[in-house]
Amino acid sequence: MTDIQSAGPLGQPGPLHGEATSLPPGDGPSTERNASLWADAWRELIRNPVFVLSSVAVLAVMSMALAPWLWTSLDPQDCEIELGRQGPGGGHFFGMTKDGCDMYASVIYGSRPSIAVAVLATLGVVLVGILTGILAGYYGRWVDAIISRVVDIVMGLPFLLGAITLLALWRKREWYAVVAVLIVLGWPLVTRIMRASVLATKNMDYVQAARSLGASDLRIITRHVLPNAIAPVIVVATIALGSYVAAEATLSFLGVGLRPPTVSWGVLITHGTQWALSPGHAYLLLVPAGLLVVTVLAFILMGDALRDALDPKLR
Amino acid sequence: MTHAVTSGGMSAGEVVLEVRDLVKYFPITRGVVFKRKIGEVKAVDGVNLQLRRGETLGVVGESGCGKSTFAKLLVSLEKPTSGGISVQGQDISRLRGRELTRARRNIQMVFQDPYTSLNPRMTVGDIIGEPFAIHPDVAPPQDRRRRVQELLDLVGLNPDHINRYPHQFSGGQRQRIGIARSLALKPEILICDEPVSALDVSIQAQVVNLLEGLQDELGLSYIFIAHDLSVVRHIADRVAVMYLGKVVEVGTDLDIYDHPTHPYTQALLSAVPVPDPALRGHRDQIVLEGDVPSPANPPSGCRFRTRCWKAQEICATDVPALEPRGGSDHPSACHFAEERDVVHAID
Amino acid sequence: MTNTDTTATAAPKGRGRRHTRLADVDPSATLLDVRDLKVEFRTRYGIARAVNGVSFSVEAGETLAILGESGCGKSVTAQAIMGIVDSPPGFVTGGEVRYRGVDLLKLSRQERRKARADRLAMIFQDALSALNPVFSVGFQLGEVFRFHRGMSRADARKKAIELLDLVNIPAARQRVSDYPHQFSGGMRQRVMIAMALALDPDVLIADEPTTALDVTVQAQIMNLLAELQRDLNMGMILITHDMGVVADVADKISVMYAGKVVERADVHDIYADPAHPYTKALLESIPRVDLKGQQLNVIKGLPPALTDLPRGCNFAPRCRYARDRCREDTPHLYQVTTPGGDGSGRTPRGSACHYWEEVVAQ
Repeated sequence: MTDIQSAGPLGQPGPLHGEATSLPPGDGPSTERNASLWADAWRELIRNPVFVLSSVAVLAVMSMALAPWLWTSLDPQDCEIELGRQGPGGGHFFGMTKDGCDMYASVIYGSRPSIAVAVLATLGVVLVGILTGILAGYYGRWVDAIISRVVDIVMGLPFLLGAITLLALWRKREWYAVVAVLIVLGWPLVTRIMRASVLATKNMDYVQAARSLGASDLRIITRHVLPNAIAPVIVVATIALGSYVAAEATLSFLGVGLRPPTVSWGVLITHGTQWALSPGHAYLLLVPAGLLVVTVLAFILMGDALRDALDPKLR
Repeated sequence: MTHAVTSGGMSAGEVVLEVRDLVKYFPITRGVVFKRKIGEVKAVDGVNLQLRRGETLGVVGESGCGKSTFAKLLVSLEKPTSGGISVQGQDISRLRGRELTRARRNIQMVFQDPYTSLNPRMTVGDIIGEPFAIHPDVAPPQDRRRRVQELLDLVGLNPDHINRYPHQFSGGQRQRIGIARSLALKPEILICDEPVSALDVSIQAQVVNLLEGLQDELGLSYIFIAHDLSVVRHIADRVAVMYLGKVVEVGTDLDIYDHPTHPYTQALLSAVPVPDPALRGHRDQIVLEGDVPSPANPPSGCRFRTRCWKAQEICATDVPALEPRGGSDHPSACHFAEERDVVHAID
Repeated sequence: MTNTDTTATAAPKGRGRRHTRLADVDPSATLLDVRDLKVEFRTRYGIARAVNGVSFSVEAGETLAILGESGCGKSVTAQAIMGIVDSPPGFVTGGEVRYRGVDLLKLSRQERRKARADRLAMIFQDALSALNPVFSVGFQLGEVFRFHRGMSRADARKKAIELLDLVNIPAARQRVSDYPHQFSGGMRQRVMIAMALALDPDVLIADEPTTALDVTVQAQIMNLLAELQRDLNMGMILITHDMGVVADVADKISVMYAGKVVERADVHDIYADPAHPYTKALLESIPRVDLKGQQLNVIKGLPPALTDLPRGCNFAPRCRYARDRCREDTPHLYQVTTPGGDGSGRTPRGSACHYWEEVVAQ
């Protein structure tokens, strides 16, 4: 390969194929499908211990909600009122609730309404937020003007006060009422984030390129704008999951959320506070509240890890 | 050199693109809910140009001269305020819907920045195949993969890399992908908006050579928009010089580079550094004062008069028409047009 | 501006790092003498050797151009001289930066900052992000005098106006209280030049000063820089990728490729007969405004990844002169003598190519 001649007379047919052959060798076609930005982000995530730990915690809580019987063989409804507030011991490792049910089983089964409310509220908020965010960001003009003003108005309401007022007016103490109120008050945040993200994306040259090819709005939105604009919403949704778990507890505590006989973390915490200061009964508060804090923290840490992995600026 | 000869001969071919009195004003508005117009940015203000089959028309000018808006108008990314754009006799500036989509096949664009012009979440196969997805009658679904691979091969990329993502390619390779996408629908006309200005010097030549090769192979006509006058001289058969939304001088590359008559063209050319230190101090140097005025409030009469060393009273009152002047046979929009060689050594 | 003060000379040899002092300057020594400078970036993908043994020197009144494409290490070299390498991940791992005989890399932090303020100055490509948007231009210029010279507010303002005048900003007295966004791109670049010149530096480093500007404005700025450099007798280091700009203003050139200087020579010699295949190929690959029908020669392939440099010569994979030896044996900077410019220029010519004689002969 002592090739003076391959360099040859200046500018052989070579120019057309100039740099074509110089990709790093050695990655066969089998691995190539996985080189997308999503796959890169995933590879980064599973190497991040914070993400791994927080997602283990999140998965644990999710499985409690979906299949509580995997976690305990006891029935939380199997209560003896005279055993109420009996401290830990005697096969009841976390003691008994105020109604004499096993605390551990109650907390496990209590995750279901808490998590269900959070998941459904987040789904609703994300759906409404993405839709309105895309409409406002992509179409602009009067559509944007209307959506943005509504967003401003709803964001102007204090969250807690708004939720208490709505639930107090509605007088339903069911899960769907709490979910509905959380969605009504929560969507504008996602709308704002999505709108800003869409505004940044829609000016990219690849959107112009698709348009100059004659692509329809639907195609541009689904193929070009949405996949590139959704990352910040994923991050916010993860963090929102955590904060809605906390919101459920807060609303139940204030008496406008879920109420007995439904057993949720919020309900258990409410009961716990009544006895927490009497000696030996602190566990009534600490067990459900501790689990709540761990869950919320797990979601927030997961959101942070996602942000690091999805933020293109850090790459 | 052969290239210059063939395309010179071809420039007598049929007109594939004609731009008549093209105008684009962007309104400047104030207010959030109740918008009122407080002015206009005159981005493109009465441009007339023709492009013949197999020809490359270079459009040069500094930032804010309207050349990028001009490109967007040509590929219907913006609607003109007035004037017409005819592609092979059909006025595309008034088309909508399906007819517009069909007309787009004939005129496609290569973008400046290879890093933002490719969707990072799509594979190269999906990016180059998207034109076929939008225009399903061009290639039946079972043929698309093969067509995409042919296109990759045409622009000098490995057809086996069809499943890779844009970030796995270098800037020059990405620009090749963008060129392949623009060629998928077999257009007659390619609008190249600064296609090499984001690339390193050694990569620029690769892409310029590719564009020249494709033109010869496929008989394409190019509008080549750039601020780099050296690259334009290399690739263009004819050149139009723009200043503040207007064409101030147009002619063959020889007319413009060796016999410029408009003072702005002369100033622009004299400012281009030549990579030859032997010419230092031996070229006619014109250094302009000040900056380009705002297109929202352009000077009256001749727009260049505020920076021009020849300006007289008439320049403030009469807009100079673009017509042959000053003993030269190519059009120039200056009342005092006069030939002056600024790129070669004088002594 | 990342004023990270850590030019952490990693691995200080011997115990007790001894600081040199700025007061030891020897006025007869070379103005700026960079020897075997090495900078590496420790990234998660490995160690990127951005600057890999670079040497050059500048005398007062002289303009050195460092020419290269993106990623060749030219900007990092400038940052290392100024002591503003972002650290971590960047570390200056070796070499000397001698200013009038004093090695800046061995100065204490405080002395280094003083050197950066008083003796060296740098202007950047992007003037808008280098200026603070919330203060007026006059305030930012005046601050330099108030901070470093302890001037009063009124005196500092007077100096600011003088400087704006020096860089030919029309109506300096009125414009001194304007904010950066009120200036056009070319005017902003002038403001930055004014700021760089405020404390009468001996060395001016210009990192792609006109890349973001239009060609007519570029001509204005380059003329201004050349004029100021001559009048103030500064040593200037012009960092650029533009061979045209270099031909117009530089006295001598160092061409960089993949972190190394591959060729150095007086400006006339290098354009007349380049002695390194990379320089030669670059010159053949750029179109010229005064010629038509020239064949553009292409450099095939891409520059190597700095984390994974090839054995032997870095340019060998793209080189049309490359032989087996080039892939084994790293070429040092050979002394070059050519019939046209036989080293009669002030700079001894050098080319890091085993076969430079063949390159020159063709």
